[in-house]
Amino acid sequence: MLAKLLKHEFKATARIFLPLYLILLIFGLINRIFNVFDIFGDSISFNMQSTLSVISSIIYFTLIVAIIVMTLVIMIQRFYKNLLGDEGYLMFTLPVKPWQHIVSKLIISMLWSGLSLIVIISSIAILIGIKDTLAALSRGINFFIESLGYTGLLTACSYAILMFILYVLMIYSAISLGHLFPKYKLLASFGMYSVLYIINQVVTTVVLLTFGNKALANIISNSPTPSQIINFIQSLLPVPILLIVGNFLLTKFILEKHLNLE
Amino acid sequence: MSIILECKNLTKTFGTKKALDNVNLSIPRGRIIGLLGPNASGKSTFIKLCSGLLTPTKGEILIDDHKPGIETKKIVSYLPERSYLNDWMKVSDIIEFFKDFYDDFNPEKAYDMLVRLGIEPKDRLKTMSKGTKEKVQLILVMSREAKLYLLDEPIGGVDPAARDYILETIIANYNEDATVIISTHIISDIEKILDDVIFIKNGQLVLTKSVDEIREETGKSIDSLFREVFKC
Repeated sequence: MLAKLLKHEFKATARIFLPLYLILLIFGLINRIFNVFDIFGDSISFNMQSTLSVISSIIYFTLIVAIIVMTLVIMIQRFYKNLLGDEGYLMFTLPVKPWQHIVSKLIISMLWSGLSLIVIISSIAILIGIKDTLAALSRGINFFIESLGYTGLLTACSYAILMFILYVLMIYSAISLGHLFPKYKLLASFGMYSVLYIINQVVTTVVLLTFGNKALANIISNSPTPSQIINFIQSLLPVPILLIVGNFLLTKFILEKHLNLE
Repeated sequence: MSIILECKNLTKTFGTKKALDNVNLSIPRGRIIGLLGPNASGKSTFIKLCSGLLTPTKGEILIDDHKPGIETKKIVSYLPERSYLNDWMKVSDIIEFFKDFYDDFNPEKAYDMLVRLGIEPKDRLKTMSKGTKEKVQLILVMSREAKLYLLDEPIGGVDPAARDYILETIIANYNEDATVIISTHIISDIEKILDDVIFIKNGQLVLTKSVDEIREETGKSIDSLFREVFKC
C-alpha cells in the first residue's frame, strides 16, 4: 500500500514540478545564449542586449526562488489539503494506515527537495558551463574532505538530511495539531509550529547541556582538531533522531485517534 | 440475520453541541436503509463516524465486528456529501486510483456506468458540472463490491431522470449480503427502494422500523410520516 501511495503522491506532484524544472532549464539556456554568444554585439544594439539579458536574468532568478518556494508550499499543501481538507475524505477512507500517509508524503517531499536542488545546480551548469560547475562543485567537496575527511562529509550529510526530515515532520505535526482547533485551523497550525520549534530547541539545549557539557566546553575552550569536531557532531546525532521520532509519533497519534474531518 | 453495523452509546460532540447523543443501533446485512432526518440532525456525523473520518466522543462502533480502521475500510464504500476528488484528474485516472487501493473495485462496472450516463472517461473533473461530478463519485462508490455502502445524500444534486438511474444502479449493484445506508431528506424519490427507515432528530434516533411495518401500522407513506414527525 505504501508503494501505491508513493506512486499516486508522485503523480499528483510531478505535474507541478516537472514543468517548472523544464522552464528553469530553458531559461538557463536562454541566459547563456544572451550572455555568452553576445548576439547583439554591435554598439547600436547594445541597449537592447543589456535590457534583454537583464530581463531574462531576472526571470531566471525569480524561477529559482519560485522553485524553492513551491517545494515548501507543495509540501505543506499536500499534507493540509490532501489529508485534512476535502480530499482527506477519500484518503482516509482508503484501507491505508495513517503512518503510511505520513511516510509517503515525507518521502515524496524529500524527493522533490532533492530534485529541486539538482535541477537548480543543473541550470547553473547550463548557464556557466558544465565544466566550470563541476570544477566548482568538486573544489567545494574536496575542500570539505581535506579539512574534515570522508567521515566529516558523511556526518555533515547525515546531519543535514536528519534536520530536513525533522523540519518536514514538524510542519506535519503543527498542521495536525492545528487541525484539533475548532476554528482558525491554519492560523493555529502556524502557532503550533512556533510552539514545536521552541520545544525542539529546548530539548536540544537540555540534551546538550546534560550530556554534552564536557565535550562542548572542550570544543569552546581549546582549538579542537577536525576529528574532535566530527566526534562532537556525531554524538549529537541522536538528538534530531529523537525529535524525528517524537514528531512522527505525535502526527500519527492525532491522525489515528483524533481525526475529525468536519 | 447477522449484524453488519453496531453502535453502542455512540456520542459525538462538537464543542458544546451534541451532534449525536447516545445512539444504540444494530443494522443487519442485506438491507437498504434510509437514514432520514432534517438538516443538521446528525445524519452526516453518523456516516462519517462509521467511515472513520470522525472519532467518537463516547461509545463505540463495530462494523463486521471491527472498530473503524483498515479492516472496515476494506469493506465499506463511502459516498461523501461533498466532492473529494482532485480537479486535475481525468475520470480514468480516478478509476485507476480506486483499482489500486480497493481489492473489491470492479473497473468494468465503472466504465459501463459511465457510458450509460454519457460521461467520457478522458474528461477532466475540472470541466464537469457539480451534478456530473456527483454522478462520477457515485459510480466509483457503487462499482465496489462492498459489504456496507454509506451514501450521504447521493441524489441531492442530480436531476430527476438521473436520480432514477442512480437508484436503479444502487439496487442492481449491491449483492444480497450487502447493506446500503442512504442518508437523505428527499424521501419521496427514494421511498420505493427502502427496506427499513431510521428517523433521526437532534442527534437522537426517534424511530427505527421496516417500511412494511410502518405502512401496516400507520397506513402512511414514509414521506407523509416524515412530514408529521418532523413538523416545524
